[in-house]
Amino acid sequence: MTNVLLKNWQFTLVAIIVLISIATIGFYGIKLGMDFKGGTLYQVELQKTVSTEEIARISTIISQRIDPSGLKDATVYPVGGQFIVVQLSETDITELEKVESRIRQQGKFEAVLDGNIVFTGDELKKVLRGDNSYGVMKQSSTSYEWSLPFVLNEKATKNFARSTFHKCNQTGFSPTGGITYECEKTIFFLDRPTSLLVTTKDTYDYDESLLTAGNKFENIPEGTLIEELIADSMLNVMVLDSNATIDLAKARTYFETTKTAVVSPSVSQSVINDLNAIGFAVTVTQAKKDSPWIWTATGAKQIISLTEGITNEDVSDISQAKEFSTLRISGQRQTFAEAKSDLEELAILLESGSLPTPVKSISKETISPSLGESFLFNVLLMGILAAIAVSGIIIIRYKMLNLAIPIILTGLSEILILMGFLALTQRPLDLAAFAGIIAAIGTGVDSEIVITDEILGKSKEAHESLIQRAKAALFIIATSAFTVIGVMGPIVLFSRNLPGLDKLYGFAVVAIVGALIGIFVTRPAFTKLVEGIVHKKEEKEGRN
Amino acid sequence: MQDFYKSNYKKMMLIPLIIAIPLLFFVFIFPGIQPGVDLTGGNVVIIRSDKPIIEADLLSVLKENFSLPELKVSTISSPTGFGAWIQYGKDPLVANVEELTAKASESIDSEKESIAFSNQALKALGKEEATFANSKIALLAAEQALAEYKEAFSKKLQETISQKLGLGANAEFQKREISPTLGKASFDSSMFITLIGVIMIIVVVFVAFRKFVPSAAIIQAMLFDVLAGLAGMAILGIPLSLTTLPALLMLIGYSVDTDIMLTSRMLKGKDGTPGQRATSSMKTGLTMTGTTLAALIAMLAVSYFYQIEVIYQISAILFFGLVGDTISTWLMNAPILLWWIEKKESKRNF
Repeated sequence: MTNVLLKNWQFTLVAIIVLISIATIGFYGIKLGMDFKGGTLYQVELQKTVSTEEIARISTIISQRIDPSGLKDATVYPVGGQFIVVQLSETDITELEKVESRIRQQGKFEAVLDGNIVFTGDELKKVLRGDNSYGVMKQSSTSYEWSLPFVLNEKATKNFARSTFHKCNQTGFSPTGGITYECEKTIFFLDRPTSLLVTTKDTYDYDESLLTAGNKFENIPEGTLIEELIADSMLNVMVLDSNATIDLAKARTYFETTKTAVVSPSVSQSVINDLNAIGFAVTVTQAKKDSPWIWTATGAKQIISLTEGITNEDVSDISQAKEFSTLRISGQRQTFAEAKSDLEELAILLESGSLPTPVKSISKETISPSLGESFLFNVLLMGILAAIAVSGIIIIRYKMLNLAIPIILTGLSEILILMGFLALTQRPLDLAAFAGIIAAIGTGVDSEIVITDEILGKSKEAHESLIQRAKAALFIIATSAFTVIGVMGPIVLFSRNLPGLDKLYGFAVVAIVGALIGIFVTRPAFTKLVEGIVHKKEEKEGRN
Repeated sequence: MQDFYKSNYKKMMLIPLIIAIPLLFFVFIFPGIQPGVDLTGGNVVIIRSDKPIIEADLLSVLKENFSLPELKVSTISSPTGFGAWIQYGKDPLVANVEELTAKASESIDSEKESIAFSNQALKALGKEEATFANSKIALLAAEQALAEYKEAFSKKLQETISQKLGLGANAEFQKREISPTLGKASFDSSMFITLIGVIMIIVVVFVAFRKFVPSAAIIQAMLFDVLAGLAGMAILGIPLSLTTLPALLMLIGYSVDTDIMLTSRMLKGKDGTPGQRATSSMKTGLTMTGTTLAALIAMLAVSYFYQIEVIYQISAILFFGLVGDTISTWLMNAPILLWWIEKKESKRNF
């Protein structure tokens, strides 16, 4: 039995791969693209109207955030100067929530030391996803730490070295003879507001104690001083006295520089009304559970102490300071899943960059497929009619019924294998993939006709053996396949990261995979099949 | 038909040469190729209503009463109600007028030139040309006329939809202009990448056959086929966009197949005279092209009937291109090869 299978390895190969493809399709499922199944439509309103270049930039950032790997079926495009439309084929509620929060967040990341911004998220060259220190590690049975190493660009690296130079104070000597230091702290902020903060004395005092106690899961080290936090946030904070009245004059002076105010829930409605009267746009921010209000209100994410290595304590002159371009931010969560999610979301935000203009609102709607609900049926109809048309021509030409069957079978198996590929890589089946499949099948049928003719046609002048004829056919179809790869190759190599060209990329990938499947899998089997048919025919006609 | 290519085969080459002239005219002079919605941007009309809207009905109302380029219709629903999303490309008239007003604005300091542009814009909008005191007033008049035109069109669109679909007084319409999704830079990049692809094909062909004239003959056939496809786009008004660019790429792949087959048979085949080999190749080649054309006709019919514009466009481009391929392969590439082989053999016989 194995001998037969091995001798006819071409058929065995096709059978195996087709079976694998069917299994893959069953297991992973085929993702239908938006053209076929519709999805969700978001209209993102920006806080103000911006220029064409800026809204194009914002669209790019948003599309990177929604779909960092380029696999989802998402289109993002600007509408006018203030709206961005996002269409994606996702309809699952939890996934959509993630997408929405990614779009909504401005993603402004800042590191502050001593009341100065040392670097921002936009000065990150890249996130070191491939590095060993990127990932989640178990700290204990109830805590997991995520770690995100990143690289700063040259300018930020220099600035960082300069700002952190000698920012440690010697405190004594360690038992091993080294020097112990106490170093200044850098605070990382995410979406630090540019607002006036207003809180009550009670909340302020409570926050102070929470900060001193520290919170592992909020990345607040023990002994954090509230004054330090406020200083580094570079925000004005008004603490209402026990009478809970607000110093209106002071508030008015603040209004000259900031038009928005963030207040804690403990602030009374009358104070809020007073602020509104002055002209502030007031938002009430809730504190996270067991977390200081002021921590959430300032957007603080982590406090990291510098170390003597980084601050170049051992170097006397700033010009000789060692520059560190790779830094790390980390956090702790109680479960692995939470830690991983935090890591991923922050990585995406840092990689995509911050939105130059924040988002004002997002409206969400379900959108129907643009190609019509019955499109799949239409495609099936087209496929059947095309198959009939092609068979018709073949039968007319060769006058042999059984030559049409191998061609149809080969076409079908190629379609199945390509769909298996789509399922395996979770690429959506959309119009681009569909066009790629057509391209692959068309070239396939052409090649099969060539093979048939080479083998069949030359039987009249039997100068060449079957093998020689097959070789001639192989040369032709190999060259054809290489032209397909030649044309689509550059597209696959270069258009992946160009905005808006991902549909072209999807088309080219499917076309190339189709060509490769043709050369290595389906056409050898077809050749063998035709050889068999011709052999039988020649035997019948008394030749050999 | 043992030998289609008898002694006067050289005269066949005249046919593609002659046909190329009107094709070039269609593509480069008139009507030319329209840029698609990706490049020019377009319009979106968002309808909100308390009654559900049926996509097929909306589509047919729009198609019967207006000729909107690159029309895409979807229905939207949310907990708060129903609606529809209508997307269409820029009206070529509007695009033209916007270009004229842009030119008028650039040349605002040279009175005569600017006023001329503004007047051209007005004329395009169906208004009378006029004499203006200065270029600024002329530009204003042109811009106002354009705004009025757009307004009027919007209103007509809304009224027609409302009336034909019976949406009632509570329907809300929002009209927005979409910026191009693909900046000119991205489009230029995609053109450049395609060019690299074409160069790769040329390399593959030369490596496969190693002789100059035969390889060049294949390349010229490919170019002719692309020209035919582009001419089809120009005649049918199919815009060049990211959806139709794949069709041109597919065309290159398909068209080169027949020429490679022909050249391989002619150069490497051992049976019969070159003319006979060419004729038998033609039988194979016509079968190859024939099957693809038959499949395309099926696709054209279904997509036309069910109004699936994108498939229709891709099929049409391929159809034109492959008809061109039949001409360029058998009436040009084959004669060139025969000529070349004959020359080689006569040299050898010296």
